[in-house]
Amino acid sequence: MKNTYLQLAQMVSGALVAVLLGIHIAVQQSSVILGFFGVRVADPLAFSSMIERARQGTWVGIYISLLSLGLFHGLNGLRNILLELNFSAATMRVLTALIIVFGIIFLALGTYAPLVLLGR
Amino acid sequence: MSSDSEKIVIFKIQRFDPEKDARPHFQEFRVPVKRGTTVLEGLLYIKENLDSSLAFRTSCRMGVCGSCGMLVNYSPHLACHTQVEEFHAKKLLIKPLPNFGIIKDLVPALEPLFEKHKSIKPFIMRQDEAEMETPTAEFIQGIEDLDRYLQFSYCIKCGLCLAACPTSASDKSFLGPQALGQAYRYCADSRDGGQQQRLDIVEREHGVWHCHFAAACSEACPKGVDPAFAIQLLRQRVAARALGAGKPHNPAPLAATPLQVKPRVAVPEFTVKKP
Amino acid sequence: MADIRPRQNNLGIAGWIWAGNYKLERYLYILHRVTGLGLILFGIFHLTATTVFRVQGEAVWKDTMAFLDNPLFRAGEFLVVVAFAFHALNGLRLIIQELGFALGKPIPPIYPFKDAPRRKRLLTLIIMAAVMVLVIFFFIDFSAGGWG
Repeated sequence: MKNTYLQLAQMVSGALVAVLLGIHIAVQQSSVILGFFGVRVADPLAFSSMIERARQGTWVGIYISLLSLGLFHGLNGLRNILLELNFSAATMRVLTALIIVFGIIFLALGTYAPLVLLGR
Repeated sequence: MSSDSEKIVIFKIQRFDPEKDARPHFQEFRVPVKRGTTVLEGLLYIKENLDSSLAFRTSCRMGVCGSCGMLVNYSPHLACHTQVEEFHAKKLLIKPLPNFGIIKDLVPALEPLFEKHKSIKPFIMRQDEAEMETPTAEFIQGIEDLDRYLQFSYCIKCGLCLAACPTSASDKSFLGPQALGQAYRYCADSRDGGQQQRLDIVEREHGVWHCHFAAACSEACPKGVDPAFAIQLLRQRVAARALGAGKPHNPAPLAATPLQVKPRVAVPEFTVKKP
Repeated sequence: MADIRPRQNNLGIAGWIWAGNYKLERYLYILHRVTGLGLILFGIFHLTATTVFRVQGEAVWKDTMAFLDNPLFRAGEFLVVVAFAFHALNGLRLIIQELGFALGKPIPPIYPFKDAPRRKRLLTLIIMAAVMVLVIFFFIDFSAGGWG
């Protein structure tokens, strides 16, 4: 059952990341085309604009969801690819542990940084 | 090409003799080919006239036994089922099926295929053990029930699907499209009551979730079994069961034994009467 | 004769990429895998840049942005967005079809065979068309705005 739940989580997180990343890219990159649609977005790469977003609850929520779901989806996908290389069970346990540690580190980094910036 | 004109096609065949060769090498043969000549007929011509040491499997020569699977011009075919003319080429590259070990020349080691097939319990399973051991009557199955799995029952266990599958290329423990397709064939058979056991087996590591729907298996299948489709339907059952949304499965009932039946026409006496 | 062990003939990882002459869906699979790995790799760099370098203050951030402001990185960024567009839309198709939906019903195999993925090719082509539309959209945006 575990494999099924992991894969269903992979599919659900994939669908959610598709939406959230779409929003992220649209805001970060597509300023020109969004401009045609009358949506004015201040230069998203400027430091000040980032701090502005970090203060707004919606954006923080979006970013943290994107980070956690994206990390899960990507790392679970990587683990699936590694499983297909037919390593021994012991090697697979080590690789899975490494992947989980990697995920936790990046999740921590990704949530810590905006909090620090918010505090300044 | 008119029906009796003959032309020469070059068969470039991968040879490997485990007792003599360190690694496989290619050998070319000039084979006369007419309209309708199959690859198998070409191979038999080589064996009879040019090099009798060429090894390959063949049996029914009509596409029902699954013995003669091989890679012809980079796609898996049954040699008996494939005409040389199909390729519109002067040269045919013939190699043994990939993702199986090579015993000799074009003979693949198909044991892993059969082991994986056995592991998914490819037989009707019912609660009533006595009925399974000594059957008393038939199970009732209508046309709609039959149509739900009939396509997938045409599998001849030739192994072309495993040769095409990208996951089977790297993962030797992967059950493979043949076993997974047959797992669905039995789960979908209304006479069967063993779905829970089979779903447990295919849900394991190196099971159904390592199919990524490349659908090369369905392309390669010479009988139109469409294992890719069967696997996705199997996944639907696996996911439904995990989410608690599975349909309750009531296996087909046993037909009632007719008790008060008199034959309408007298059965003729066929036994030889003693004088 | 009984002791002869069959010679290994697995294609290995190369078999993911190419194992013979197959149709579109086989290559969509490997493209999905490659774009996924590419996105993970980009994600590592991106997360490092937006956390480790961002927390160190505005000066470090401006330096990082200046470092990344060259044609190679900008082209890479465009490729990443294209990879995302393909991976997301193909992924949505895979979610639907891998759970057995939108594939039709089993049919008796009558030669010439047409399997379910090919019968439903239209859905695949619509998704591919949507990907192309997004790629063109992003390309216009990229060449117009520069994505600086």
